[in-house]
Amino acid sequence: MAENQNKKRVGVFSLTCDEGCSIYLTEIFNRKLVEWLDKMELVYFLSVKNKTDFSNLDVALVEGVVTSQKDKEELEKIRNSTKILIAMGTCAMSALPSGQRNTFTPEQKEEIREHLEMYGFLPQALALKEVVKVDDEIPGCPVSEEIFVKTFEKYLD
Amino acid sequence: MHSCDLDIEINKLSKIEGHADLDIRIRNGKLEDVTLKVMENVRFFNQAVRGKPYASVPQLVSRICGTCSIAHLTACIEAVEKTLGVAPSEQTMLLRKLTMYSLMIRDHALHLYFFVLPDLLGIDSILDLADGKKELIHEALHVKEAGNNLSKLVAGRAVHAPYEQVGGFSHEIDPSRIPILVSELRKVRPSVLKLIDIFYRCPWKLKRKTNFVAIVTPDFSFLEGKIRSTNGAVIEERDYWNHLHNVVLPYSQASGFQFEGKEYMVGALARLNLNKESLHSNTKRDAAKYLTVFPSDNIYHNNLAQALEILHSLDHSVELLSAGGFKKEDPAKPVKQSGEGVGAIEAPRGTLYYWMAIDQGRVRYLNLVIPTAQNLVNLREDIKKIVEGACASGVFPDELEEKIRREAEKIIRAYDPCMSCASHFLRVNLKF
Repeated sequence: MAENQNKKRVGVFSLTCDEGCSIYLTEIFNRKLVEWLDKMELVYFLSVKNKTDFSNLDVALVEGVVTSQKDKEELEKIRNSTKILIAMGTCAMSALPSGQRNTFTPEQKEEIREHLEMYGFLPQALALKEVVKVDDEIPGCPVSEEIFVKTFEKYLD
Repeated sequence: MHSCDLDIEINKLSKIEGHADLDIRIRNGKLEDVTLKVMENVRFFNQAVRGKPYASVPQLVSRICGTCSIAHLTACIEAVEKTLGVAPSEQTMLLRKLTMYSLMIRDHALHLYFFVLPDLLGIDSILDLADGKKELIHEALHVKEAGNNLSKLVAGRAVHAPYEQVGGFSHEIDPSRIPILVSELRKVRPSVLKLIDIFYRCPWKLKRKTNFVAIVTPDFSFLEGKIRSTNGAVIEERDYWNHLHNVVLPYSQASGFQFEGKEYMVGALARLNLNKESLHSNTKRDAAKYLTVFPSDNIYHNNLAQALEILHSLDHSVELLSAGGFKKEDPAKPVKQSGEGVGAIEAPRGTLYYWMAIDQGRVRYLNLVIPTAQNLVNLREDIKKIVEGACASGVFPDELEEKIRREAEKIIRAYDPCMSCASHFLRVNLKF
């Protein structure tokens, strides 16, 4: 559609986490969605839509940690499809709290070893920037509303 | 019936909480197998809580689930309090009710408006609503925002609420905000009644005899009561575990449960089937026509039940807030530093059970029973019934796959499953 040509193509992605940031984003939407929809097209957000389009993104918002090989491949795919990649929340920025296994004692690590092997986990849970280039970050657990709006709107104009 | 072989794979089910896949195998026109795979990566909360000071654990387990974090927070706090003999004040219990209501309003609204309504309206996303129906988007956002603002007022935030703590709340309610919030809750009430009517008129039907289980609370406040089932069981919260059996689900980072040896369902439909008399009087007055539906064994009425729970949460919150009189209180203190206890509440998706052991102020053990995990066995049986019905319906094979995909996703969404939650505490370790 012609009216969509100038709209930014935005995707919201969840790696391993509690999805608290994307849920909180739907609360930020309560006040901002209608205004933002004039400037963006939400092309990937599994919480909101089924038909998804991964290609030619302008902005990718990514929450969670990279805990498995599958997470890593997905993040690399997102990176290759987007101009701007934003780490959304503390997990994406620093691998905690969702990568809490990194802080375990040797005994605890031994306890979870079998599970890690069975499900293709990486030796350590990683923050996004340990895997791909990250263009911007929004701190908070969940994301701070004020910083989210300020950061995200930079990329909508 | 047309004989055909079909392998249907749905990868990354959308409009649910968390990640799940569904595989269906049909041979010679007959269903052979249904596999619902919870694809969430485990984050090892069992291990993470061990050895932590009890006061820090509620905020830690809040991170199990973004959408129902308040339910985990509240159930964990209750478990700590039962374990250490903390007696929360009357005002604390009232603030917890308001906190749970704020969760129900925004969580059910997200599910009904964003996840289910698109199926009912034949569109992919609520964002795709045609111009004439766009007011539903605005109503969705306003109802959610009322819940969100109630969370902020009472508990500090809707996700990982900072004020709710062991023994009480760390901040008092700002009295100047109460009239604003009461008027916001009242303002969205007509939208909620409209939502109830939409799901009352929804023609979807799937009936299969099953057992419904819920904590029956005297004021429908989701916090304290006896656990009852439509089969007639009456159980104390602390004894719930003795009635459950763990069921291993192949290929999943999650496991399911049976109650007294059979599949069962927890959640809004179970609560309405067992306890509709306890709803707020204003809800009973204005939703009388819709409440005649219950008890119901049509699983799709879970959506209607959720919409009715939004109305109740709103009505009871207005009453509690209007009564006012909130005062500053010190937190209730523990009488001991070691012990074992159970906290159980009704989370949006059903009974949430925490069994905790504390040694000298540090958590030694934690076991959880998650609502979605309890529903997985029942859900699998319902998907089987839907697939068998579709196979026997005589549609041509090329249409059959599409029909099964659509119907299976619809029934999964009716359960409002939360895979983030379901993937935790899968290993049942009773060694102390």
